[in-house]
Amino acid sequence: MRPYKILLFMTGILVVLAALCIVLPGRVTIGGTEVRWPTLTQVFDAQTAAKEVEIPDRLWNLDDPKEAALDTTAIVLTTDSVTPSAPSVVPPKVVVDSTTDSRIFLSRFYASLQTTDSCKVRIVHYGDSQIEEDRITQQIRETLQQRYGGSGVGLMPLLQTIPSLTVRQELRMNGRLISASQAQQGPARYLVYGPKSMQRTDGLYGAMGQVAIMADSLVPGSEEVVVVCKPQTASAHYSTWRIFADSTIHYTVSGDTVHLTGRGAIYGLSQETNTGVIVDNIPMRGCLGTTVFTKIDSTQLATFYREENVRLIILQYGGNAIPENDKPETIHGFVKSYRKQVRYLRRCAPHADILFIGPSDMVRLKDGIWQSYPMISFMDKLLRKMCLEDNIAYFSLYQYMGGAGSMLRWREQGLAGSDGIHFYRNGARKAGNAVATWLLEPLTPNH
Amino acid sequence: MRNVYLMFVSWFFYYKTSGLFVAILAFVTLSDWLIAQRIDKAKSNNPESKIAKLWLTLSVMIDLGILGYFKYAYFFTNMFNDLTGSHVTIVDKIILPAGISFYIFQVISYTADVYCRRIQPVKNILDFGFYVSFFPQLVAGPIVRAEEFVPQLYKPFHLSRRMFGLAVFWIINGLAKKIILSNYLAVNIIDRVFDYPLLFSGFENLFALFAYSLQVYADFSGYSDIAIGLALLMGFYLPMNFNSPYKSQTPQEFWRRWHMSLGRWLKTYLYIPLGGNRKISIGTYIMLTIIALVSAGLTGWWLWIMIPFAALIAAMIIVPRVMKNNTQLKLFYSNLNSFITQVLGGLWHGASWNFIIWGGINGIGMIVNKIWRELHWHVRFVLMTALTGSLIYADEATHLPAWHLFAFWALIVWIGTAIRYIYWLLTEDKEIKNQKSKISNKIAQCWAILQTFVFITFTRLFFRSSSNLDPATANEQAWETAKNMVNQIGGAWNSAMIPDFIVEYKWVVAMFIAGMIIHWLPTNWKRRYRLWFSAMPLWLMVFVVCAALVVIYQFVTADMQPFIYFQF
Repeated sequence: MRPYKILLFMTGILVVLAALCIVLPGRVTIGGTEVRWPTLTQVFDAQTAAKEVEIPDRLWNLDDPKEAALDTTAIVLTTDSVTPSAPSVVPPKVVVDSTTDSRIFLSRFYASLQTTDSCKVRIVHYGDSQIEEDRITQQIRETLQQRYGGSGVGLMPLLQTIPSLTVRQELRMNGRLISASQAQQGPARYLVYGPKSMQRTDGLYGAMGQVAIMADSLVPGSEEVVVVCKPQTASAHYSTWRIFADSTIHYTVSGDTVHLTGRGAIYGLSQETNTGVIVDNIPMRGCLGTTVFTKIDSTQLATFYREENVRLIILQYGGNAIPENDKPETIHGFVKSYRKQVRYLRRCAPHADILFIGPSDMVRLKDGIWQSYPMISFMDKLLRKMCLEDNIAYFSLYQYMGGAGSMLRWREQGLAGSDGIHFYRNGARKAGNAVATWLLEPLTPNH
Repeated sequence: MRNVYLMFVSWFFYYKTSGLFVAILAFVTLSDWLIAQRIDKAKSNNPESKIAKLWLTLSVMIDLGILGYFKYAYFFTNMFNDLTGSHVTIVDKIILPAGISFYIFQVISYTADVYCRRIQPVKNILDFGFYVSFFPQLVAGPIVRAEEFVPQLYKPFHLSRRMFGLAVFWIINGLAKKIILSNYLAVNIIDRVFDYPLLFSGFENLFALFAYSLQVYADFSGYSDIAIGLALLMGFYLPMNFNSPYKSQTPQEFWRRWHMSLGRWLKTYLYIPLGGNRKISIGTYIMLTIIALVSAGLTGWWLWIMIPFAALIAAMIIVPRVMKNNTQLKLFYSNLNSFITQVLGGLWHGASWNFIIWGGINGIGMIVNKIWRELHWHVRFVLMTALTGSLIYADEATHLPAWHLFAFWALIVWIGTAIRYIYWLLTEDKEIKNQKSKISNKIAQCWAILQTFVFITFTRLFFRSSSNLDPATANEQAWETAKNMVNQIGGAWNSAMIPDFIVEYKWVVAMFIAGMIIHWLPTNWKRRYRLWFSAMPLWLMVFVVCAALVVIYQFVTADMQPFIYFQF
């Protein structure tokens, strides 16, 4: 075959393909199936970024007349067992611009940090899969404990279904090792954020949003659970075990090991100190965060927050709301739901400040090009607005990363994974350090 | 003229992908061309020339030195630091030039072929430069041995109509493999699972592992198909690189069908010089010692590695003296040298401990399979029963996912072995054991294919975990990934979520099944549709190609599979 014929053949293909570019308007539906083909403009001017979505003015307004009657009073606890709140101290000098810097809403938390010599200050970090394995929380904990004392990893579930970078857990039931992937063979687990089959109706999930129910047997001691939790980092060492469980659960502690017997609910275990800062990592895989707290019994939450002197609640959600939703109306609805959640938490923990960490940048493959999800920017801005209106501190992970398309750069630098959503460990470390630094900046001399 | 033009086009292509690393390509081209001239001269004067050997050694040292620096500097520095407790550091980041492993192997093959007098040295350096840098296969193979390609440099362009059709077929076939199977599966399931195994259930991890087996084949063979097709359009014949490898019935057969150009290269320039099945050479001792030291150094298991190593060395000394059966002696040499070749082949794929494990498992798999097939059926059944029993006991005693996985697979293999053993007993009694029925033969073949596929897929646990990693942290990260995946796969499954997974990931599952079915189609069918395509009128071919490109484009622009969690 002569070379000119080969050339003609190739030219023929190019001509047909170019003709398709002219004839087809980008995408057509044939027999119910959408067929995509680029236009000539797209061929010669490939876009690398998602188009900015126009947001109608009404969606920037989060006020809802129906919500005016929302109860904002604190939950009243009837129990006498609550410990007094931290002693009053002179608030530290917090230097932030009160008109633009949301850290002004953390002043009570900053004040509580001055009391860590004599009592414990607890921070609870709730989030989605981005904080699994103690990621991001670890850096916040280490930074705060280094400065204000305290050690230990804080709360852990009875069965660690996701390994942690800071503590290695092993659970044996009646002598048999129950690995993370064999969770079904261990004590029954209920998750407030899990599938319906794992949820319960009474809302008694505890502060971690998950509970393990031990021993269906009526004979005491017939079922024994042994949990060994070995700290993996120097800062994870602790002085005290805390077991959050029904009074029907009996336990003994020996070194890194806890023996549990009895029948009832176990809401979590904790390795901590009696003074300093304790930071709990509570990841909720796949959780939107829009309904999760209001499903937990308010008295249970309020008791925990009060007794444990929780002074800061960190919420890190939003990531799971992005992938499936390209409509600003949906995002608007989600942010309003977040507001309900933070107001509920505020009622449960009136002495605690709240910090919301927004979603990171996230990318997807759309029309053959990796690009940021179009709604992240809107959600980030609307969350900030919601936070400022509700006196909540806001850290924009999205802006910290560099805004739209920054996940691609993080991915190129080996900081984030190929799914364009989750950080690698070093990426999480970078983000965690950024949050910790930002959090403590107002307390830093010469700031 | 054609060669010179293509050489500069290739260099430009390489410059666009690897920048100034084109200088390395130019350097090895010049260095090996000059050295080959010297070797030829020395050999012409004296066929047993030691100077020629020295030139060959110098050439190999230069080539492997360059490859070693770019590919293994971190690996060996870390190992040195681990062994000595020192803190030697090298430059912050070494960027690996694209395709360096491939063109280094090509220049080594050229110099070695000249040394062995398989080819005459190329007189014109531009022709030689073309051989080294020919762009279709420059960055991903096939590895073209000088013996196969150099003679083509001097032939005039000729391409028959049928060959033209085949060239177009290979290009489109490769593109479809790469985009439809490889990229789609990678983006929508495999990369996610290998990045974060703990986010996914045991079934998803297992599915991703099998999908990876298909993906790596589609990706690599897709590149090879495109390279072969492009080269053919320019009148050059590149060797076949993949021959439906998942149809293999044994690990040995798999390696004869998988990355065939590398296999042939390793056989010609490593396995045979080590002694092949003829002898144990000094090279065998050296390589084995290096492998043992590297393994012990990296794991810290000095005792556990040095004891079998010492036993093996003792066997290497004693066996040739006491074993009188020549066939068995050949088998011993062959196993030893092929194991070393496999481990070094693993290391060629990347600088990570996991690649060594991968190579080692493949080497052991081949040896075990060879020995297994020589065993009597009674022995096979007893051994398999004992192994399965031990693994089930270990699983019951430890409840560790890894043992669970081993025990489960051993049980399946035991069932297969038991059925075949019973069949063998029955047919032997009737003295018809040599009259194998067609159906039982087919079933046995399918069973062997399935076992080989599963074995190869599980070795990939180590292969994929090591790919695309920063060399500085590759070992730790790769091991962590492999461990987490084994824990997930070997743990208890929530089988209720399997239908949900299939529904939610229907396109991913469909692509995987379609890919495997196409792969397993009979060779004759494939040949027939290739010939049908290559013979069609040109105008029709234009439209078929365009239609194929439209289909491929749908996968390029397909929306991503949303993230769905099945495990909490």
